[in-house]
Amino acid sequence: MKDDNPARPIIQARQVNKRFGAFQALKNVSATFYEGQVTAIVGPSGSGKSTFLRTLNRLEAHDSGEIVIDGIELNSNLKNLDAIRREVGMVFQSFNLFSHLSILRNITLAPMRVRKMDRADAEVKARQLLERVGLQSQADKYPLQLSGGQQQRVAIARALAMDPKILLFDEPTSALDPEMVNEVLSVMRELAYSGITMLVVTHEMGFAREVADRIIFFDHGVILEDTTPDVFFSNPAHERAQVFLSQVRHGF
Amino acid sequence: MNWTRHNPGWTMFAAMIGLLVFLWGLAVPLSSAPAPIGPAAGQFVEGARITVWLTLIAGSAGVVIGIIAGLGKLSRFRPLRWLCDMYVWLIRGTPLLLQILFVWLVAPTILPEGFDLSDFACAAIALSLNVGAYNTECVRAGILAVPYGQIEAAHALGLTTLQTFIDVILPQSMRVALPALANNLASLVKDSSLAYAISVVELTMVGYRVQAESYQPVPVFITVAAIYLILTTAFTTLTAALEAQLAVGQRR
Ligand SMILES: Nc1ncnc2c1ncn2[C@@H]1O[C@H](COP(=O)(O)OP(=O)(O)O)[C@@H](O)[C@H]1O
Ligand SMILES: [Mg+2]
Repeated sequence: MKDDNPARPIIQARQVNKRFGAFQALKNVSATFYEGQVTAIVGPSGSGKSTFLRTLNRLEAHDSGEIVIDGIELNSNLKNLDAIRREVGMVFQSFNLFSHLSILRNITLAPMRVRKMDRADAEVKARQLLERVGLQSQADKYPLQLSGGQQQRVAIARALAMDPKILLFDEPTSALDPEMVNEVLSVMRELAYSGITMLVVTHEMGFAREVADRIIFFDHGVILEDTTPDVFFSNPAHERAQVFLSQVRHGF
Repeated sequence: MNWTRHNPGWTMFAAMIGLLVFLWGLAVPLSSAPAPIGPAAGQFVEGARITVWLTLIAGSAGVVIGIIAGLGKLSRFRPLRWLCDMYVWLIRGTPLLLQILFVWLVAPTILPEGFDLSDFACAAIALSLNVGAYNTECVRAGILAVPYGQIEAAHALGLTTLQTFIDVILPQSMRVALPALANNLASLVKDSSLAYAISVVELTMVGYRVQAESYQPVPVFITVAAIYLILTTAFTTLTAALEAQLAVGQRR
């Protein structure tokens, strides 16, 4: 949402470091994200995009620095973690639907367990969400009976069922056959205009340019550029970003 | 077996009822059989009941032990891992007969005064520990077979570790482990015969006694073998149906 009102910061990352053994995946990463903002995170493979996203809901614990989500500090305190995970939804490259549960149960599980919603209410809500992603007729199927694009739309509905304030997407279309990319992107586009805060790691530059309010370019574990899509795509400041863009434009 | 796969609920029900009816009604055909079987019908029925009880008790306890030790083997806590490894190593590396004798002889010496374990209880404990060790490996393999992405998805949705285990990991790992667990259960029906060594009057013991009194081993052992075959078939059908029940969503 292109919005001129002074927005409230909802994610604050300060000097975040993360290493895997001797390898430093994130180096003093700082960024503030505002409510309702849609940010595309781009950069070469292995540059730390996923790691950064995953530190924001503590699928990876950061080694040092500070992460504050909606006023709650993300640390080893389990109460904070529970509170934050209720607010932050995530959509994965490989969908990660629960393969033993029907589509409907995939969506109702977290509201029933975490929000203690009763089954009937959770199902009503799940069916509404399925309709929103265009899959109302698939409620009783199982994940493996759906195409990749359909599974990813279910995964989005599953995340939305928790009414998150923030949605993290880690390459949501990278595992899809080309003809299914658009059905997922159009659901994401609709979400972007609904006012939810989104951080999207993606290689879909068209989508980033059209939908994002902000582009962050990662390289070797640091944020090299943090700017608007217009500036990033027409006139990136760093040579690494120029090289990256020319590679993306000409295909890999 | 095709019918079993398509009607798992009914098959399970039928096998269970069949088992009960069999145990209940076994005395009727047996008592009309010629000597030496007819006069000993009551003993055969009692022996078969004890065998089924031992199998059900040790089978259920063995699954619980298998899940606990299987989880223990995957624990991050090293002493717990060692303990579970040790348990499996010890049980799988020694004869079942020795384990039964060990429990029977050692239990009275370590239990407080006035706390008596029956021979049956000793046999049940030894058989539980034994099948539990074999189940541990199956459960461990089953847990490792659950895609890690689904566990991360559950955490990202805010499910606690326990909720993730119960709703996501356990059902899927059981689905993988079930054929092997079923195998162990079928072996248990037969292994329970070793309880005769501590004078538990189960089916084999009954056969031994009846043939010793009648000097007619052939008809007696044919009868015993037939009862075992019916029991193992019932248990196998039961677990096959359970397997089909859990396989929902696995295939298209
Ligand atoms: N669990 C892990 N263990 C070890 N190294 C990891 C792990 N996760 C990521 N890395 C390493 O961290 C770097 C950044 O990874 P990632 O954040 O996934 O990059 P991107 O998403 O930008 O492609 C890569 O070099 C990767 O090999
Ligand atoms: Mg990545």
